[in-house]
Formats: sequence, C-alpha cells, structure tokens
Amino acid sequence: MGKVLLISDRTEKIREYSNIFDKKPFEFTTADDEKTVFDIIEINPPDVIIFDNNRNNVKSLIKKLKSAADSTAFILLVKNGIVEQEISKYINAFITEDMSESLVSSIVNANIKTKSALEQLHETNKNLAESLYRLNVLYSTSSLFAGSLDKEKLVNYMIEGMDKSLSFDLTCTLAFCTEEQPVLILNSLYEISDELLSAIKLRTVLNYKSLFEDKKPPFEIDVNTLKVKKTIKYPGKKFTFTIFRYDNMFAPISLGDNFFGCIEIFKEAHFTSDDATYFQTIAQQVSLPLKSATLYQEIKETNDKLEKLERLKSEFISIVSHELRTPLTAIKNSLDILSSGKCGEVDDSGTKFLNMAQRNVQRLTEIINDLLDLSKIEAGKMDYHFAMINIHSVIEYVKTSLTVVAKDKGLNLISEETPNLPFVYADSQRLEQVLTNLVSNAIKFTPEGKTITIRSHIANASQITSNNCFAEDLSKLKGDYIVVCVEDQGIGIAEKDLHRAFDKFAQIENSLSRKAGGSGLGLPIAKQLLEAHNGTIWCESELNKGSRFYFAIPLSAISALKEPVGIK
Amino acid sequence: MKKILIVDDEQDIVESLKFVLEAADYICYCAYNGEDGLRLAKEIVPDLIILDVMMPKINGYKISRLLKYDNKYKNIPILMITARSQEGDKLIGEETGANEYITKPFDLDEVVEKVNEYLK
Repeated sequence: MGKVLLISDRTEKIREYSNIFDKKPFEFTTADDEKTVFDIIEINPPDVIIFDNNRNNVKSLIKKLKSAADSTAFILLVKNGIVEQEISKYINAFITEDMSESLVSSIVNANIKTKSALEQLHETNKNLAESLYRLNVLYSTSSLFAGSLDKEKLVNYMIEGMDKSLSFDLTCTLAFCTEEQPVLILNSLYEISDELLSAIKLRTVLNYKSLFEDKKPPFEIDVNTLKVKKTIKYPGKKFTFTIFRYDNMFAPISLGDNFFGCIEIFKEAHFTSDDATYFQTIAQQVSLPLKSATLYQEIKETNDKLEKLERLKSEFISIVSHELRTPLTAIKNSLDILSSGKCGEVDDSGTKFLNMAQRNVQRLTEIINDLLDLSKIEAGKMDYHFAMINIHSVIEYVKTSLTVVAKDKGLNLISEETPNLPFVYADSQRLEQVLTNLVSNAIKFTPEGKTITIRSHIANASQITSNNCFAEDLSKLKGDYIVVCVEDQGIGIAEKDLHRAFDKFAQIENSLSRKAGGSGLGLPIAKQLLEAHNGTIWCESELNKGSRFYFAIPLSAISALKEPVGIK
Repeated sequence: MKKILIVDDEQDIVESLKFVLEAADYICYCAYNGEDGLRLAKEIVPDLIILDVMMPKINGYKISRLLKYDNKYKNIPILMITARSQEGDKLIGEETGANEYITKPFDLDEVVEKVNEYLK
C-alpha cells in the first residue's frame, strides 16, 4: 500500500497517472492548489509526491513542502530527463514523460519501499532509545534502592521511578511500612475531589483485600480512618470519575511472607506489555530493600533498647550507691562515737563486736566505691588525669601503704624493681588503684609466713607471652611496655577458672575466697582502667602454689597515643 | 566559744556531727532543711557552717551561693557534705564558694580536724 499524490495542472497527465496509480496497492490523489496540497499532507500524508515540472513555481513549492513533508519521497516529472542542479538535491527520483507505465510504476514502488524501510528503522531506533531510557531509570532507581534503609524514601523512589518511565496520571500506593499506620500515598497529575478520593480509597482497600482472597489480610484497614498523603502536580485541574476508565495496572509489594503494600497506577493512554513488565520489576525490586530496612529497623530498635537498659543499669547503680552512702555514714558515725569511748567505756567483748561492725562498714564502703567506679567507667564518665609518671613511685606508694596490712597478717611484702625505668604516660592515681587491688588480693589469699613480691621490668610485645587464655589479648600488644607483676604464694586459681578472673562478680567460688570478702569488682575495674591506658592485664596461676598478676603500660611516644578512653 | 551551724535533712548525721563537735567544745545549731538553714545562718551568723548538698527545695549549693555573695556572711567557712563524688560536683562546690568538700561516708575525726583548722 502506498499513497501517491500528484501535483499537476495538466488534465492529460492527471488522467495518465490515474490509470497507473488509481488502483491497488496504491491510493491516488491529485491536487494543484497549494493550500489543498498542505491540507492533504497534514491530514493524510502521502508516501510519494510526484511534481509536474511543467507547473508554475514548482521549484518554490518543492522547497516549501520539503520541511512540511520531511519523510515523503519527492519525484519530479520532467519532459526530457534534464533536472536543474538546484532542485535535484530536494528530490529522491525523477521520471520522464516518455517513460513506460511499468517503469514509472516501479520507480514509484521502489521509493515507497525505501520510505517504509526508513520509517521502520526510525521506529526501531525510537524503541531502542526508549528501552535505553527505561534501563537507565531502572538502573538509577535500583541504585537508589540499594543506597537507602529509609522505608518512606524507598517507596518514594519507587513512585519516582515509575513516573519517569511510565509517566502515569495517578498512582495509588497503599504502604504499610512507612509509618505505624497504613498510608495511602497518592501521586497525581491533577487535583482529586473528595468524592473521587473516597472512591479511590474504597477501590484500593478492595484491591488490597482481594490479594488475600479467603485468608486474613496481614493488616486491618478502616476506609474511614485511612491516612492519605497527596502530591498533586497541577493543582489547577481536577480529575473526574473517568479516571476509572483509564488503563490501569496493579501489583503487590511483597517478598515472601513480608507484605509491604500494594500499588495501582492509572494512565489515560494504554500501557504496553513492556510497561507491564517494567511496572512489575520495580514493584518487585523495592521489596528487597524494604525487607532489609525492616530488619535494620528491628536491629536498631533492639540496640536502642539494650543501650537504654545499659544506661538505666549504670544510672541505677549510681543512684543506689549514692543513696546507700547516707545511711552508711550514720552507722559509721555512730560506731565511731561508741568506740571513741565518749559515751562511756566499752568492755572487751563490746569492743570486739564494735570492731566487727566497723570492719564491715569499711567493707560495705569499698563495695559501694567499686560499684560506683565500675558504673562510671561503663558510662564513660570516669575522669583520668594523664601525665608522664614514674612507675617506681606508684609501686613505692602501694608498698608503703600496704606493708602494715601485710605484716599484720604475718606476710612479707617486698619489691624487686628494675632501676631507672622510663616514665610512662598514665594516670598515677588509677595505677595505684590497680596495684593496690592486686596486692590486697594477694594479701587476702596468701597464708601466713609467705612472701608477696612486686616486680617491674621493661619488655617488648614479642617477649610478653602467656600460654593460657590471655594469649589473644597479649597478641594485640605492639611496641615496648613497662610490665608490673604481683606474685604471691597463695591458694592460686584453677586453670579452668582463669578466664573468668576479670569478669564482673566472678569471685572464684571457694571457702577461702568467701571468707576473704570483697566486692568481686576489683579485677574487672583494674581491667577497664588498664584498657583506658591502652594497656592490658593478665594472670598466671597454679592451684595451691600461687598466682602472678601482670599489667602492662605502653611506652609508646605520647604523640602516638590515642586519645585516652573515657576522658570527658 | 565558736558557733557551728549544721544543715542536713538527715537527722542521724546531724546528731553524730553535733555529738563530736560539742565534745570538741563548739556550740552547735542544727537545721534539718534548707530554709531553716539559711534563716538560722543569717540569724546567728555562725563561725562555720557544715552543709549537706542534697536537700529538698533549697539545696546546699544554693545556700552556699546566697551566703557567699552577701558581704555580711561571705567570710563564714563552709564545709560541704555530699554523697556524690563526681569531679563535676566538686567544681560546682568550688564555684559556689564552699571551702571544703567532704564525701560520705566521712570520718568524724577528720571533720573535727577540718573544723579545728578553720576555727583556730
């Protein structure tokens, strides 16, 4: 089928060509008047226009038509086969008046075929360009999906992606995942009246319920209270109920058992099968990130809860400890007054029980202090005063203050120090706290007549080893350290209990340790204090022979030291 | 004899402080809340005040601040008692002009020593 238009004012030529073309497979029209020609081109564009060179002003007409009928093949009918140079560039072919009917017909046919082939190519190109564009949109939408864990954003990306590639008139997205309650998200070209809105709501809810057939839908929806979010592109114009006669597509947004919502889109023009594929793809693609976002949210919520609990715990310990101090002070004061003799003499057995009470008040005070320290460390509120300090003075201080205690128990407290150790960047008060704790423990657990030794030396990380459960901690050490060791000849710790030595409240169960008392927090506090120094603590022990508790403080240049943990 | 004002809502603690300070020959006045403490401080103008931090309505910091900004009372030494031991609290205590900071549970002998230091 080819549409042929002949522009000529010669009746005999019109008749001659009618004979050739006014039959199948051609559709033949003739015209001469310029206005008619333009009308024809506009209403029913021909495939081929034959211009009679004999006509007046044929040159200017060809030039004018070239822009109006861009894809039409122009054939010039000449008398003698001579075509002017100027006009030849506008025409696709020419025929002469003396050509046979079949030759004319075949030239016109060939041009019709070329034209339709070109048109097909053009169409294919257009389709390719469109597919490419969609792929691009799909790609960028997928990237957006991958980059977000915000469910509301994910749903918006999905709608944007559909808008770019399907250019809908209206989407109705029923989302169960963006807020606590279900939300109907409407993205529309034009304003939606209240009546239309209630119809859309009803339709969406019915669509949603139809997804589950006989089963109970995962969420209950009440049409009357359903929350709506509208985005209108051109609020000046209104949609009418004819929207329901538009072409539409519907898809659930779900992955396995996870149901996130559903989407319906409307468009005045028809959707193609490509459109349908594309629509399904995007609706499916958004499900996976929505699922990840759900999981992420769950983890985050659990985490927040845990963090809150942890904080509550610390606060609780802190408050309780403070509250305990006041009654404890009153007890301590009363005992002190009684034992001072200012309220009258106390006899020997009275003194014995007064001492017992005082001793236990002291113990309770220590426990409360330990609890407070630990809660402060865990809340990151511990204050550290770092400075270049001499480890020797720390050891000397602890030795001096505990020598009397050791002597009272019939123990020998000595130190074997490496002279002239370099200074370390540390909080001397905290190190004294750690060392006091280690030596006190040694005193508690060592029987009469034995010796407790405090040692100090310098060592490279590679030389610091332990063949027990602390090997992993020690393998993390780097560079040079000052190592302090407290060695006792006490009851020792069984190999199986060693790994729990620095756990909270993990006083190793045994009668002697019970009798020795303590909060069970000394070692965990020591561990945390050393971690704040970028150091570490560990121990070696043999049951009934004794224990060696070590701690190491890094000697690294101050500049290389990390900001100490816990400074506020 | 020197006059000491003890302000603490914990009667037992006031009681024990009063006992040892009277034994050390001081005259003790007691208040069991912030309002009474502030009123008594202005009425009797003591030589020293022992002040608890945690009290309902007017707490120790407030009393200390009010007294230290008043020329008539600013020279009265104040010993602050608290159950807290955070450094931050110490700073507030210093800002409000307290002269000493005692953490519960404290040693009665130490308190008497401190008082002696200020009043001799």
